[in-house]
Amino acid sequence: MAVREIRVYPDPVLKQVAAEVAAIDETVIAVIDDLVDTMRAAGHSVGVAAPQIGVLLRVVVVDVSHSKLGRDHNHGLLEMVNPRILEKTGGKTMREGCMSIPDYTGNVERAERIVVEFLERSGRLRFVETSGFEAVAIQHEIDHLDGLLFLDRVSSLKTDLFRRKAPKG
Amino acid sequence: MQHFALTIVGRDRPGIVAQVTEILFNLGCNIADSSCSILGGQFAMILILAHPDVKDRAGFGDAFRPLEEADLTVALRVLKPGGEIRPQIEGELCMISVYGADKPGIIYHVAKVLGERQINITDLNTKLVGSDERPVYVMVIEAALPAGVDEQDVNDWLVPIRDELQVDINVRIIPTVEL
Repeated sequence: MAVREIRVYPDPVLKQVAAEVAAIDETVIAVIDDLVDTMRAAGHSVGVAAPQIGVLLRVVVVDVSHSKLGRDHNHGLLEMVNPRILEKTGGKTMREGCMSIPDYTGNVERAERIVVEFLERSGRLRFVETSGFEAVAIQHEIDHLDGLLFLDRVSSLKTDLFRRKAPKG
Repeated sequence: MQHFALTIVGRDRPGIVAQVTEILFNLGCNIADSSCSILGGQFAMILILAHPDVKDRAGFGDAFRPLEEADLTVALRVLKPGGEIRPQIEGELCMISVYGADKPGIIYHVAKVLGERQINITDLNTKLVGSDERPVYVMVIEAALPAGVDEQDVNDWLVPIRDELQVDINVRIIPTVEL
């Protein structure tokens, strides 16, 4: 158990695709513990993905229960191994920041409601349906497993709001 | 390092950014911050520049003359020390959409209310959309709300404008989240 250093872009590990966890062994348990410790130590953090501590495995932890936005709707501490989003509906824009990209925030639209499956640390398959901030946080963390940062999803106000206007023919 | 604000406006066509930035690159300028967009038929560039050696306007010589010869309007502003530093803007971010049949004064009336309430506009875009017969004006503002002000307050303050100008107004907080 240890608080690990958060990797900061342009660390190349953040742009790589993390590997599926084949079996939840001691190493994986240690990664889960380190992620939780690192998230707690950061204070304001509501989630950390394994690549952010330099581990290219598909493991994330999310806990929005202590944040103002997530307090009333959350599933507590989620330790997710091999998480996969099965369903996405709706849209929600938040101005996201990320510990791996300090001092910058950007408006990102994500699904409002998701269904996600993952393995718990015990190896049990679990399904969670959630919405709002917790859903956004899970999507942000799972993106890290695919080498995606919120910068890959950020869109400018202008293109978002005005691009639908078709040019006059 | 001395910083400068460079604005360039001209009829839009491919290659403007390349021509401008080639000159800046060859000069050894850093582009610290920039925003460029098509407005009407014009391409408008605003850039905050820094150069390790150039201290004043004269230091650029006639480097921008090729741009003027290409029908671009070029303006250079020498920034006072610290003028390049983005202020730390406190407060919740809020998006305000205002739209309706086009009429004079939409921006002014909304901006006046926001200014009087010390609400800092951080981004503002407008577009005229709809058909020629029924033009629709759309404005989207991003603003930072002072402490103690919430979206309901902003909504309430804008209600008289909504009624007077017959526009639709939507105010929503964009939560800033650290993930």
